[in-house]
Amino acid sequence: MRKHEEDFYIGYLSSAPKGLASVTRLRILILIAFALIAGGAITALQSKFWPGVFEFGTYRDFEGMILERPYPTLLVKRPEAGDHFPYSRYLLVNPFKFGADETVQGLNGQTVSLKGQLVFQDGKTMIEVAPESVKPLGNSAEPVSLPSSEWGRHTLRGEIVDSKCYLGAMNPGNLKTHKACAVRCISGGIPPVFLVRQKEGAALYFLMVDEEGNQVNEACLPFVAEPLEITGNVRQEGGMLILYANPETYIRL
Amino acid sequence: MSHGYQFVGWNRQKKLYDLTLLGAVLSYLLLFIVGSIVLHPDAVIDMIILRALGTCAFVLLHVILAIGPLARLDRRWLPLLYNRRHMGVTMFTLALLHGLLSLLTYHGFGDTHPLVSLFTSNTRYDSLSQFPFQPLGFFALILLFLMAATSHDFWLATLTPPIWKTLHMGVYVAYGLLLGHVGFGFLQTETHPALFGLLAAGCLTLLALHLAAAGKETKLDTQDGFQQDGEGYLKLCEVLEIPNNRGRMFFVGGDRIAVFRYDGRVSAISNACQHQNGPLGEGRVIDGLVTCPWHGFQYDPATGASPPPFTEKVPTFNLKVLNGSVWVHPNPNPPGTYVNPGLVEEPGHA
Repeated sequence: MRKHEEDFYIGYLSSAPKGLASVTRLRILILIAFALIAGGAITALQSKFWPGVFEFGTYRDFEGMILERPYPTLLVKRPEAGDHFPYSRYLLVNPFKFGADETVQGLNGQTVSLKGQLVFQDGKTMIEVAPESVKPLGNSAEPVSLPSSEWGRHTLRGEIVDSKCYLGAMNPGNLKTHKACAVRCISGGIPPVFLVRQKEGAALYFLMVDEEGNQVNEACLPFVAEPLEITGNVRQEGGMLILYANPETYIRL
Repeated sequence: MSHGYQFVGWNRQKKLYDLTLLGAVLSYLLLFIVGSIVLHPDAVIDMIILRALGTCAFVLLHVILAIGPLARLDRRWLPLLYNRRHMGVTMFTLALLHGLLSLLTYHGFGDTHPLVSLFTSNTRYDSLSQFPFQPLGFFALILLFLMAATSHDFWLATLTPPIWKTLHMGVYVAYGLLLGHVGFGFLQTETHPALFGLLAAGCLTLLALHLAAAGKETKLDTQDGFQQDGEGYLKLCEVLEIPNNRGRMFFVGGDRIAVFRYDGRVSAISNACQHQNGPLGEGRVIDGLVTCPWHGFQYDPATGASPPPFTEKVPTFNLKVLNGSVWVHPNPNPPGTYVNPGLVEEPGHA
């Protein structure tokens, strides 16, 4: 009887009966402990994040030749790289979720200077071009012949990702939780890349175009971030792997 | 109880409640953020914060949903129920921050309005593995907003308790949507089996608690076989089976009534508090007034009316005490009707 009376407490009263207060304190501690254990477990059980880097806020100066197609890239001379192909080739994108097509329009083959932030992972590097920083240098660049090699026709299994997020602008920048962002990026002109994970060795990145070498941003949107099988011709051009395939032949797995 | 819906005083208990809640939430966020930075140095901070907010809100929702049945099973959980709306608003705030950050991160800064993108970037409703999970979170957030925005007693009085209660039962719809949001989203990217186990444990614990509480309620609602006299009164119990200044609940005539023994008298009123349908029979008589165990609303046991200036009223029941037994007529009187209390012959006072 006495115990029943002591148990009763309404929150607008200034203090709880001693026994009930002790029990409540203990239960609150147990609830908090459960919550923190759950939080700690979720924290620890998250899968590996990829070592992508986005040098946010660090602007570097670049000078090189613009290539507009299939996606905007910048060829930067690297004399120390040897005679075979003494250039580094960087994909170019605009800030946020936009490609750089308009930024480099009409500059194909011209030498320019620009400022940008680097996004890189796994030896692949992209430049996010600072707004209005692209300055044509006036001198016409020497024509550069991009070394290319045919890898033949292949059937590949992988996932379409937007190159900017996957390289480091976001992490994780692939799989279903990132699908909406990848769709926005690719819809905005960011180059789509077919990501193929190998059982051994590094992942392979294929810049995606159709059979004629045109951009496939719009056509590939329904397939982004889904497991796919794509059959097409693979070519290595100027240090980049390019997958030529008709989007209508993409197969969902 | 509040009247006129002014700010309720922040007594010591309320301050302690909120400080503890705030401390627990900040501890969780700190643990998640610092833990992720240490364990996953390649992760980016906005993603860590987004996940910290989302998981914190979801864990807190489990606590919120557990407190109700826990309090039904053991009333010593009631101190946590009293200010549970503070937890609800806190959980909504965390969910809102998670939602806004997600909307900006995944849908913002692009070629389409973020809210349009939310519903158009993934339309694979025909696929289980690709099912769009973000709209599920969006609709859950809308429901949580409606509940957080109407959590004050002003809305309870304005909407009326049945509508308010129905609206706030939407928390279970929100929970279902969030199970889909987490299952079709986070758990399809983070596939460690233990994470599935954690979600299943949380979900099954809530289910078990609700079933246990429902079982207790059902047991009460299947009482029958009461002896009836010629006037229709039912013999419910012996007077001395009711602890002094406490009540007992009975299920008669398709409804629950609460019979109280206090100050040498016995009275019967409806068991459902006018505030949030709290079980008055589990309350206590304080200063001569039946006090609801949930939020402390009070009623005169003889009239079923709250003391002035409050206006809440519950139905009363005709009652008589014969030879130490309590007899109650199952037909309710209109709310606020005075009924002569039965007189108790206390042991030792004959």
